[in-house]
Amino acid sequence: MNYRRLLDGAVRFSPRLAVVTLWLGAALLSMSARAEDLTFERDIRPLLKAHCLDCHGGSATEGQLDLRLRRLMVRGGDSGAAIEPGKPEESYLLARIEAGEMPPGNTKMEAHEIDVIRRWIAAGAPTAREEPQEIGEGLGITPEERAFWSFQPLTRPAVPAFGPEDRVATPIDAFLVERLKAAGLKFSPEADPRVLIRRASFDLTGLPPTREEIAEYLSDTAPGAYERMIDRLLASPRYGERWARHWLDVAGYADSEGASNNDAVRPYVYKYRDYVIRSLNADKPFDQFLHEQLAGDEMVPPPYANLAPDAIEKLTATGFLRLAADGTGSGNNTEESRNQVIADTLKNVSNALLGLSVACAQCHDHRYDPISHVDYHRLRAVFEPAFDWKSWRTPDQRRVSLFTDADREKSAAIEAEAQQIAAERAEKQTQYMKQALDMELAKFEEPLREQLRAAYETPAKDRKPEQEQLLKSHPSVNISPGVLYQYLPDAAEDLKKYDARIAEVRAKKPVEDFVRALTERPGQTPPTHLFHRGDYRMPKQEIAPGDLTVAAPEGQAFNVPRDDPSLPTTGRRLAYARHLTNGRHPLSGRALVNRVWMHHFGRGIVATPSEFGKLGEAPSHPELLDWLACEFADSGWSLKRLHQLIMTSTAYRQSSRRTPEADAVDADNRLLSRAPLRRLEGEAVRDCVLAVSGSLNPTMYGPADPVDADETGQAVVKDDKLRRGVYVQVRRTQPATLLTTFDAPDMLQSNCERRTPSTVAGQSLMLLNSDFILDHAARVAARVEREANEYVLSPELTEGVSRPAALDGAGWQYGYGRFDEAAGFVVAFQRLPHWTGSSWQGGPTLPDPQTGWAILHAGGGHAGNTAEFAAIRRWTAPRAGRLSIAGTLGHGSPNGDGVRGRIVAQNKGLLGEWTVHNSQAATAVESFEVAAGETIDLVVDCRTNSNTDSFTWPVTLTFEGKPIASQETFSGPPPSGIEAQAALAWELSFGRPATREELQLTLNFLGQQMETMRADARYASKPEAERLRQAMTNLAQTLLGSNEFLYID
Amino acid sequence: MGVGSLALAWMLQQEAQAIPANVRGNPASFDLKPKPAPAAPRANAMISLFMHGGPSHVDLTDPKPELSKRDGQDYDGEVQFSFVNRASKKLLGTPWKFQKHGQSGLDFSELLPHTASVADDLCVVRSMHTGFNGHEVSIRYFHGGIPATLGRPTLGSWLVYALGSESQDLPAYMVLSDPGGHPVDGVTNWSSGFLPSIFQGTVLRPKEPRILNLDAPPHLQGSLQEQNLAFLQAINQRHQQARAGENDLEARIASYELAARMQTAAKEALDVSRESEATHRLYGLDDPATKEYGTRCLIARRLVERGVRFVQLFLGGQPWDNHNNLREALPGIARRTDKPAAALVKDLKARGLLDTTLVHWGGEIGRLPVTEGSGPACGRDHNGQGFSIWLAGGGVRGGMAYGATDEFGHRAVENVVTPNDFQATVLHLMGLDHSQLVYYHNGQAQTLTNNRTARVVQEILA
Repeated sequence: MNYRRLLDGAVRFSPRLAVVTLWLGAALLSMSARAEDLTFERDIRPLLKAHCLDCHGGSATEGQLDLRLRRLMVRGGDSGAAIEPGKPEESYLLARIEAGEMPPGNTKMEAHEIDVIRRWIAAGAPTAREEPQEIGEGLGITPEERAFWSFQPLTRPAVPAFGPEDRVATPIDAFLVERLKAAGLKFSPEADPRVLIRRASFDLTGLPPTREEIAEYLSDTAPGAYERMIDRLLASPRYGERWARHWLDVAGYADSEGASNNDAVRPYVYKYRDYVIRSLNADKPFDQFLHEQLAGDEMVPPPYANLAPDAIEKLTATGFLRLAADGTGSGNNTEESRNQVIADTLKNVSNALLGLSVACAQCHDHRYDPISHVDYHRLRAVFEPAFDWKSWRTPDQRRVSLFTDADREKSAAIEAEAQQIAAERAEKQTQYMKQALDMELAKFEEPLREQLRAAYETPAKDRKPEQEQLLKSHPSVNISPGVLYQYLPDAAEDLKKYDARIAEVRAKKPVEDFVRALTERPGQTPPTHLFHRGDYRMPKQEIAPGDLTVAAPEGQAFNVPRDDPSLPTTGRRLAYARHLTNGRHPLSGRALVNRVWMHHFGRGIVATPSEFGKLGEAPSHPELLDWLACEFADSGWSLKRLHQLIMTSTAYRQSSRRTPEADAVDADNRLLSRAPLRRLEGEAVRDCVLAVSGSLNPTMYGPADPVDADETGQAVVKDDKLRRGVYVQVRRTQPATLLTTFDAPDMLQSNCERRTPSTVAGQSLMLLNSDFILDHAARVAARVEREANEYVLSPELTEGVSRPAALDGAGWQYGYGRFDEAAGFVVAFQRLPHWTGSSWQGGPTLPDPQTGWAILHAGGGHAGNTAEFAAIRRWTAPRAGRLSIAGTLGHGSPNGDGVRGRIVAQNKGLLGEWTVHNSQAATAVESFEVAAGETIDLVVDCRTNSNTDSFTWPVTLTFEGKPIASQETFSGPPPSGIEAQAALAWELSFGRPATREELQLTLNFLGQQMETMRADARYASKPEAERLRQAMTNLAQTLLGSNEFLYID
Repeated sequence: MGVGSLALAWMLQQEAQAIPANVRGNPASFDLKPKPAPAAPRANAMISLFMHGGPSHVDLTDPKPELSKRDGQDYDGEVQFSFVNRASKKLLGTPWKFQKHGQSGLDFSELLPHTASVADDLCVVRSMHTGFNGHEVSIRYFHGGIPATLGRPTLGSWLVYALGSESQDLPAYMVLSDPGGHPVDGVTNWSSGFLPSIFQGTVLRPKEPRILNLDAPPHLQGSLQEQNLAFLQAINQRHQQARAGENDLEARIASYELAARMQTAAKEALDVSRESEATHRLYGLDDPATKEYGTRCLIARRLVERGVRFVQLFLGGQPWDNHNNLREALPGIARRTDKPAAALVKDLKARGLLDTTLVHWGGEIGRLPVTEGSGPACGRDHNGQGFSIWLAGGGVRGGMAYGATDEFGHRAVENVVTPNDFQATVLHLMGLDHSQLVYYHNGQAQTLTNNRTARVVQEILA
């Protein structure tokens, strides 16, 4: 899709003049306001509203004093006029306030506020306009309050003009660049393609791009490659999982009920989570998505039986209204807790859909925003019929069964079958009982036998006392089914077979499944009363359902019909849902697109996504917000299209690098002259680690993966199936430690309107030491070992990069050569070319045509046939230091003439010489200095006779105090592909190849680790390959804990 | 060109209005480096022994002879009960003896013999008043400044927000939780609310490991992990250099450094085995009854000694909540905590730390003078109308009782002190003004005491 189309016509429009005029006009207005142009409506009423109107004008007029209008203040109350215009000293109101007597309570007016009132009275108490003759109940809404930005009618602004140099790709850019230019800024250059695909992948799927995806994108040089990449991501099922999590945050999703200590698990709520994922993946039009969540039940004809898939989906959607903590099924079914559920639901709904915390108006008129106590209850009345607190339904009672009549029939048929077997069993049991009784009674003589039988067969309640006594004194006659096995063991076994058959038959019954839904009971419409001070025990007048008054123009408040006669339910929620999605709702329209924007840019156009009132922040780009809201609705409520629109903008595609110039003007980047740097959320940290380690289980949907405390006290996923974080159980009292450590909400209170990334040492400790990270680092190491041979190292990456000696075994080389007796040094050293798996030699068969019998293995070897082919173990000092050598040269045969061992240093020459023949010699060399890179050779030659020259010579080099034992550090060929493994680890972690410098740093690190491990008791006796795997694990852990991994450019 | 017209009009309107300004802001970044207090502080650290549940002041710190005299008679006045079903008006004189202690002659009952031994260092405030009998309402009042409101920043958060920490090797605000579990309201007892999360309390677990993930795994301990960290910081530095000015990246590099230092510093700080035999005995570590709480008190001292700003100890469940069986249960919890709490005061004093460390002991409510239930297993119901706490050190006068309840101990009647007064006083001792210590949230200047009436209790300052 080309969004330039949306720009057609915009270039010709120039709003500059208009805006400048407005700016000047407003500035003048502002200046004159300072020049004592105070008015009641703008300056005084908000103060009185915050402090006084609760008792003097809102729902009460104590002392007969009403402060809602200036003329009412002049008229005054029981104590006379409240103000004397022009005479602050004679104004009673001011006197009481200044004396600290009013307002009562602890919150007093501030001095500057009192001063404003004084100056206003002194100026004659002017009003902005003639006051109305009639004033209804309540506070009403003044034009000044209506002028607040978020209550303005939503209209589609014209796209600002721009020039070709502005790099405007979508209308979004046109709005942004206008502000940027005004601040002397411009967009940053486009980010590197690798950055773009990584950014887009995290944004849309919450996962890093795979190497294949990156390669495909980089190799796509045709126009539209970026757009195709975005489309591919939007089509991924991972998209729904990612964006569902955002919605679940604000909806307040949790897998447990909360509100009580046992925090009962919600067994069916996962279906709502799955509904959200499926809806987003299907790009269900967002208006429909909201209709279903607010009123899905009203779109399905009751009774809710034999439900078709579409009906199940709609009922599942209403789970949205069942997310608030609900302890009414956990022993706390009080009227108070019922009303708390309703209040919390209203909070979630208003946070998510209105961008306002209407909760402030639960107890009284909102102090700062024109949301009245009545308005709050108008909203409540929309939801009241479904909640119905007087005849409340607990969570279990609200479940809707998915059993169909067919299921029930089948179940009944199966039960009948089971009953049949049960009847057979009963009959059989009766026979067995009789048999047992007869056997037992046979042990007694008549007449006792018959007396006992009579007593036994008389029902317990009809037994005579003597019969009771009789049975008591003959306990063995008291046969019951429970003790039958003691009399007839085979009979008991036989009956068990019946039980098994019954269980088997019953197991075939269809399992009854449920959805967590909110439904109304048709014909049962409870009234909504205004609760005085929010207290359900103090109901006042009845309130009819409706939207917030201020969300519509004066006199046009949206009233929801009390009942829709065309529906079995009241239709209130459906009507309200349709109203909210009419495309021009000032609050919900803005609130929805603002959230989407927030998840793309790290901050909303309004930085307080659930506080669009006076206590929130003002929008940074109000026209852009309005344009997006209108565009979203006008183009069919497609969320995926909105993503495309945003992500194809120049603004989104910018580099995230700061510049001093932009920082000087706009350090917070409110104007978006660069892309923001963002940290991964908790779920993304987990998911990304799983993806890099190659263990992410892509299974979607279904019950949450439960969380439990491990032995260290962390809440971890039990029997981790390694699915994405969105499937990890959100248990309010026990949220997964990994996720909450990285700021995932615990939902303990209610919903989460916005996550705040924190930076605490606990996160670092987790990345350093937790089982989770250690486990997955090991998996990364195993993965790179597995996949490195298919990884092509580019020449430009490896050019000039050198492998530290410590990575080539423990500094040992195994070869042959000659000791030059005249010079005292080793000459012509060559590596033995063939490795058998346990020894080095000249070739696969011995003697080798060239090197003869020369062999080296862990304990020693065999000298070559001549002095030219002495067997030599060569050790290279990794750095300068002190070295001492100890060992025992041995020769175990009387044949031949034995062997000669020499130790030769590269700089000092011969250090010692020993000859053994069917004997042993200690080969000690005292401590001496070696230079970095100096070689030490252990040379064994055959002397003059090349017969029977096998030798043993374990040697321990003690270098800088640490022992290096020749046997334990003996190794085959150095592992191939260390460089490839390291480079692959980088690329998997960061989505880009390492640079040469980084590769060198990494190899140095690995070499350092290998050297440390060889001298470390925990690792010294392990095979070299295991040490290397540990070093790679440590590399992987480091990369997974690094800032480049945790932050997205 | 200026800002958008709508926003402009709105901003101008807002500027002219007397609603809370939201243009004022917070610092661009936050840290825990030590910050000087605006006024000369008397205390630079605080240890709070939070005794939630409601310690029975009339049986511990507030002698009421009239109550004892009229034991068994009906109370004439009006009683504020919580549990009406078991309510009675029958006065219950304390079953325990009170005695005067120290030079100051401060009264304590025989249930607190060790606390009594440091009487001259304590200021017992006998006129605490929340006005609410419920636990949660009053606990939230003490922590967050507003009765019943959950989720606000706690006293400790405000302190470390204002003052940072003297230790960069340990968390600034630490909570020592009880093996019996968290108190009511759980983790919100140390939440940072709307303050940035670096100011929230770090919970030490009640048993080893007291900090999760603190120990390097055995196979990495030592130079291997040091090399890992050095390599990590090297690549982080390279990453950061290309992104100059990104505070979050710097903060994370710093947090790794803190984590690495904590691996040794916290381990060392939490290792009470380094203390002498005598110290162990002082805190009661040699007695199963006092060992657990004593260990935590000792850890608290070690933390404060190392520069931690605020340490708070909680109890599991509500051991002071003696609705029943007062005669058995109260001596039990008193015994568990009395010796360790007194030891903390003695030990801090002996080390010269008491002058600058404020120690707080107290619950959120007290208990009623009348019985709840009857017979030997009777108890006392909640009482938020009057109860005691004590303070020691940190600029508070020792050896004094402040304020008073009525002759039965039900209501605070003289020099009433509310949790807000308590908070204002604590902040004052730390060199802070409760009305000036603000954080801007949702455009409003927020304070701990939330513009409620709050008074620095000057009379108890040394």
